[in-house]
Amino acid sequence: MKLIKDGIAKLSFVALLVTVTAAMFYAPTASAHGEKSQAAFMRMRTIHWYDLNWSKDIVPVNDTMTVTGKFHVFAGWPETVAKPEISFLNIGIPGPVFIRAGSWIGGQLVPRSVTLELGETYEFKVLLKARRPGDWHVHSMMNVKDGGPIIGPGKWVTITGSMSQFTNPITTLTGQTIDLENWNLGNIYFWHAFWYAFGIAYIAYWARKPVFVPRLIACEAGKHDTLISAMDKKVGIGFMVATLAIVAVTMESTNAQYPITTPLQAGLLRGMKPIEMPARTVAVKVDSATYRVPGRAMQMTLTVTNNGDSSVRLGEFMTASVRFLDPAVHEDDTGYPDDLLAEEGLTVSDNSPLAPGQTRTMEVTASDAAWEVYRLADLIYDPDSRFAGLLFFTDEAGNRQMVTIDAPLIPSFI
Amino acid sequence: MSASQSAVRSRAEAVKVSRTFDWLIMFTLFFVILGGYHVHFMLVAGDWDFWSDWKDRRLWVTVLPIMGITFPAAVQAILWWRYRIPFGATLSVLGLLFGEWVNRYFNFWGWTYFPINFVFPSQLVPGAIVLDVVLLVSGSMQLTAVIGGLGFGLLFYPGNWPVMAPLHLPVEYNGMMMTLADLSGYHYVRTGMPEYIRMVEKGTLRTFGKDVAPVSAFFSGFVSIIVYFLWHFFGRWFGSTAFTKGS
Repeated sequence: MKLIKDGIAKLSFVALLVTVTAAMFYAPTASAHGEKSQAAFMRMRTIHWYDLNWSKDIVPVNDTMTVTGKFHVFAGWPETVAKPEISFLNIGIPGPVFIRAGSWIGGQLVPRSVTLELGETYEFKVLLKARRPGDWHVHSMMNVKDGGPIIGPGKWVTITGSMSQFTNPITTLTGQTIDLENWNLGNIYFWHAFWYAFGIAYIAYWARKPVFVPRLIACEAGKHDTLISAMDKKVGIGFMVATLAIVAVTMESTNAQYPITTPLQAGLLRGMKPIEMPARTVAVKVDSATYRVPGRAMQMTLTVTNNGDSSVRLGEFMTASVRFLDPAVHEDDTGYPDDLLAEEGLTVSDNSPLAPGQTRTMEVTASDAAWEVYRLADLIYDPDSRFAGLLFFTDEAGNRQMVTIDAPLIPSFI
Repeated sequence: MSASQSAVRSRAEAVKVSRTFDWLIMFTLFFVILGGYHVHFMLVAGDWDFWSDWKDRRLWVTVLPIMGITFPAAVQAILWWRYRIPFGATLSVLGLLFGEWVNRYFNFWGWTYFPINFVFPSQLVPGAIVLDVVLLVSGSMQLTAVIGGLGFGLLFYPGNWPVMAPLHLPVEYNGMMMTLADLSGYHYVRTGMPEYIRMVEKGTLRTFGKDVAPVSAFFSGFVSIIVYFLWHFFGRWFGSTAFTKGS
């Protein structure tokens, strides 16, 4: 038996050493927010983020940057995800490395939850103030009640400087200017230390006398009543009276010190103003769509009709924040994250200008490693095998027009 | 020395051993309670205690004492009925607060950098002392439940107000009014904590206008009475030796 015990002890020690050593030699930085593990249909068929811009790549502590862009709330929102009737515009960062100094949808400040309408497109802006130095992945993000977080594209941003220099000055409606970073800290520490000491003093009164063994013996002998003296009761009552008095006096003095306080604020903001999109002049019908697993490519057959007065070309297909571009039509100059950008990922069988009034059937292929890297190919394992995305057509004047597509997807394994 | 001989040879030695035993048990008990109570409290009261922008005048006041009186009631039962020791509630709460502060300081601040003024724990010591003293003076479980349990609920809000009031100063922020606590919640980003899951003043207690805190505190006190009974019996059952051999 002893041999077995010694063996277990030795093995446990070796296992501990191996674990510690492994952790020392391999401790990678957590680099993103699990966006790749989110179900592909969630990213393809809920919120489409586009025209995103991160105003800076490097931000000193206390300086600000913005994340701006648009998001389209997809009309073909999946049945398996709760509708965005209660949503919250968040920002995907690893904790408060920035503070969110402001966030707006359609020009309306949105510190609270909002109601979004399916099929509408909204403009958003998030103002961030740098707090903690490091390299951080900054994502746009929308939380949907009962639907979960829907994360948008992320870009690396570097914060420089020292967190000890960070300040967060706020002026209250009572006229005080405070630093929210450390406001009320002394008060919190004082009262917690005070009550902790008070509790210890109460226990110390009892612990100065024998505690467990003699008392257990006395109780088992039926001498419970001898263990609590009249003095003990007086001391106990003293502690209780002191407690009540301290609570009452501090409540009163706090009210005198802060005569104006308000309750916590919460609520739902309705009536978010969507972008008034120009009337769509390009109509697209998806005749078929296939995902070729070996080729990491999606092939679509589209019938496109130009009902406008200027010829158009297909420049981009975007789904789940991955952008497939036809460089002959559209090149990205916004600094969009490289891993989400397939600069030459869009091939169109005939991408000559589609004249007004003309209809053409196109074979469109969106191919890139991103299908695998971003786990979009997992779409074929979803219970509702559909895909969705945005097509961007460019007219002669360089104007872009967004068209949504939503259709069944057939996988091809050979 | 044979097995039938005592390990101590004098009264002085016996006292010394007994005192050593006291400290060993106190130390162990403190951390055992800390572990159990802390896990329990995180699971049932969690966010209400984590964030200052959850500490509203209705649900925070209601939920925390009800969930907080559990372990104090059970530990009181064990220490009182077996040892006549009247500090079970205080010891439990000090254990919880110690664990909470370790968590808030090293985890919330040291690891994820949320400011302490946003994530400090709620204060439960005043209610615990009253609970202990009522048991000490009355020696009655019923009176402790009714008077002490009610007191535990009633004292919670005023006991915390000196720390909370400065965070309820109003602020005008980009055209909206918030408290400093709300603003902390908005500024210090929590990706897994969208605004809509905050439980702030949900319910139908509107008849009482702005004076909902005392009503919530009374309700909390009443429910604490019931919870006290339940957990007191858990404690008595847990502290019994009926299921050990030779008892």
